[in-house]
Amino acid sequence: MSTIPLHPHTKIIFLAIIGSLVILLDSPISLSVCFLASMLLILISRPLWGQIRLLILFVGLGTWGLIYSQAIFYNEYPRTLIFTLVSPSTPVIGQVTGGVHFYREGLLHGAIQSLRFNTTLTIGCFIIWTTQPRDLLLALIRLRVPYSLAFMVTTALRYLPLIGSEAMTVIRLQRLRGFRYLRLNPIHTISGILNSLRPILTNNIRRATHLGEAVESRAFSPEAATAYRTSVRDLKIQMQDAILISALLVCSLSVVGLKILYFLYANGLYYASWLRGVYTFVREVL
Amino acid sequence: MGLIVQFQSRFQALISPAKTPPCIEIEKLHFTYPGRNVPTLRGLDVKVQRGEFILLTGPTGCGKSTLMRTLNGLIPHASGGRRSGSVRIHGVDVATQPVAVTCQQVGLLFQNPDEQLFCMAVEDEIAFGLENLGVPPTEINRRIDAALVQVGLTGFRHRSIASLSGGQKQRIALACLCAMTPQILLLDEPTSHLDPQATLDLLEIIRHLNQAFDITVIIAAHRVTEIAPLCNRVWLMNDGELISDLPIEHAFRSLEPYRQLGVQVPELAQIAEDSGYAERPLTLEHAVRLFSNDRIIEFTNGALKRYASRSTQHEPANNLLIDVRNLTHRYPRTSVDVLKGISFQIRRGEVVAIMGANGSGKTTLLLHLTALLRPSAGQIVIHGRDMKRLKPHHLAGQVGTVFQNPDLLLQAATVSDEVAFGPKNLKLPRQEIQHRLEQILSIFDLNGLKSEAPYALSRGQRQRTAVAATFSLYPDLLLLDEPTTGQDHDHLQRLMRMLCHAMKEHHKTVIFCTHDARLTLEYADRVLLLHGGELIFDGTPDAAFADPERIKRVSLLPPLTMQLAWALSEESGKGNNE
Repeated sequence: MSTIPLHPHTKIIFLAIIGSLVILLDSPISLSVCFLASMLLILISRPLWGQIRLLILFVGLGTWGLIYSQAIFYNEYPRTLIFTLVSPSTPVIGQVTGGVHFYREGLLHGAIQSLRFNTTLTIGCFIIWTTQPRDLLLALIRLRVPYSLAFMVTTALRYLPLIGSEAMTVIRLQRLRGFRYLRLNPIHTISGILNSLRPILTNNIRRATHLGEAVESRAFSPEAATAYRTSVRDLKIQMQDAILISALLVCSLSVVGLKILYFLYANGLYYASWLRGVYTFVREVL
Repeated sequence: MGLIVQFQSRFQALISPAKTPPCIEIEKLHFTYPGRNVPTLRGLDVKVQRGEFILLTGPTGCGKSTLMRTLNGLIPHASGGRRSGSVRIHGVDVATQPVAVTCQQVGLLFQNPDEQLFCMAVEDEIAFGLENLGVPPTEINRRIDAALVQVGLTGFRHRSIASLSGGQKQRIALACLCAMTPQILLLDEPTSHLDPQATLDLLEIIRHLNQAFDITVIIAAHRVTEIAPLCNRVWLMNDGELISDLPIEHAFRSLEPYRQLGVQVPELAQIAEDSGYAERPLTLEHAVRLFSNDRIIEFTNGALKRYASRSTQHEPANNLLIDVRNLTHRYPRTSVDVLKGISFQIRRGEVVAIMGANGSGKTTLLLHLTALLRPSAGQIVIHGRDMKRLKPHHLAGQVGTVFQNPDLLLQAATVSDEVAFGPKNLKLPRQEIQHRLEQILSIFDLNGLKSEAPYALSRGQRQRTAVAATFSLYPDLLLLDEPTTGQDHDHLQRLMRMLCHAMKEHHKTVIFCTHDARLTLEYADRVLLLHGGELIFDGTPDAAFADPERIKRVSLLPPLTMQLAWALSEESGKGNNE
């Protein structure tokens, strides 16, 4: 994935604005637009195939989990039954749970929640994948995030792909030694997975120790970092940053204004006939 | 009277040559790691003058790395544990000042470059330490450029770390230290991950830093042959104690202390002792001057003949095990083929060495032979089965692999459980498992460690445990990636001797990747030389090393015995002509 020439602060502000916007919006149409726009951002930054697969996995799991849980546990009324998973008359489970049903309103609510979640997740991935860890570190420090925390976050991001590939190697090596993870005995499978965690953890603890020693040997200390640390890089806000932040602020302030107008109308506090088109737009689209 | 004594002492001070105070003073140093009862360092007492170049050697686990960490203050500041005695750098005890202060005087270079570089770009990596010290950006820029010049990587400032070779990464790690302008450089096994050419390049840079800038250098190493000619003092450690501290002229006069500890001695010093010389040459030039007589020529020719006979005495059975045809591999998101149409065959009972520079494709080739990677093009057939259709578990018990990093394999609670893990998975009878366990623990010298947790052992011991655990499956094909890393000479020789003997006895095949020419000449029947992903040689080891141009091309070096034989025959040729 290529780095996008935007200031990391712009990207973080972008995430904050979109994060607030998706909370304000509650129409599936506008939320879908936000989600599609975030996906468009990912696409224009030319992602790697592995990153696309990872994002699809996260988005898929998030969507499924939210829709499924909301559709089943939806408690508001009215609610429309789509189908029943466990009938109340089913022995034990049915009697204990009172039946497990799938509701249409819950499904819709879950879809809206998943769009909010997936939009912020996608923009989060966009920021991490398109920003040099070092720029991100600098940006976080300037946002007054404690240096140690910022350093830990950016270093962890740097090593995540490596940890993933090591985990695959461990699994393959165990299989090469005749170990079968999937067997009928679940205890065997669980103990195999736990044993496989040992080399991954050990290796990472060892790496973290070595990295910690290397970092300390190069004058790293949390106290000094906040007191007098300098930086050879200088991040500057460019024209494109200013334009994007301004556009986003105008857009989000417009949404807030429109929502306030609709709130006043809906609660009988203020009504103007010339704003009827606005009320319709807010109700249908936002 | 008092006035006279005062005058005498002042006069004495004036007429005595000015003696500079030592830059390192270690006094009665003891250190015990947290949770351990046995101290790792025991009563070290030593002083180092500015500008000295010291080789620190000793068997695995003797305390070399621990001593290094006490010198730059990581111990006790970042380690915990119990420390007594003192370590003074320029008169100040490192325990009384933060590591951030000590590291401006003492730079510590670690073994593995990948574990000490964490930025994406060279510039950021070198700037990191200076930024931590609050150095102004203009000065940082100047020092980055100067450090890159010092390590011979001018023009690499904006390069990505990931695009560098192993040797270049280690030089960048050194540049990170140079930028902080330390007066003392500590190097902990700095060449163990490098190919011979990269090793020589790095050592040349360190020699230059020592001589041109009067920087004190201490190198901890197992492989001493290349380092010994550069240093002026040798420390030999064992069991946390400094058992010998001698100037280089005397350090290798007797090789017995090193041999007793299983520590490698410089190859030329070994030849001199074997031939009855009292003098111990450390460089080829010195050896040629010293050995210009028939006895040594006879000796070196004998060694060459021995290598040649080793290459032919094990005629493998005509029983094909591996058939690689036009193997090509390209990693995702890259534009260069790591392997380019490689073809070769390996028969049962062969011991094959794969050699080449860092990044030549050795490990990638090994990963294909274990079905951990799939070819981009071409075919690999093992046991008559196409690897494209196989998954790692299909090869269980038939192919065993030990990577350079043994930690990815070690998953059991004890060494015994680790060794028995494979045979248990194969559902062998209990008696057979017990028999194998006893035999293998003995072969690999692990009996004393059988109840220990594998991940708590030293690097060399973990490597041995990983090899033992893989060997316990008695695989038809055993693959070893850089078995020399972290092993002392004695254990390495023992491991390879036992392993190759046992595997050949059962008519099984061993393939190992290495940079070590001696190891190849002593144990391999065949060598595959890789260069830039291409197979440029497939033949006997003595033939592989007979062509100096080819060897240089793949960043390798022939063993010194061989280089000496060539130099002596050239010298005698000159003599005859005259």
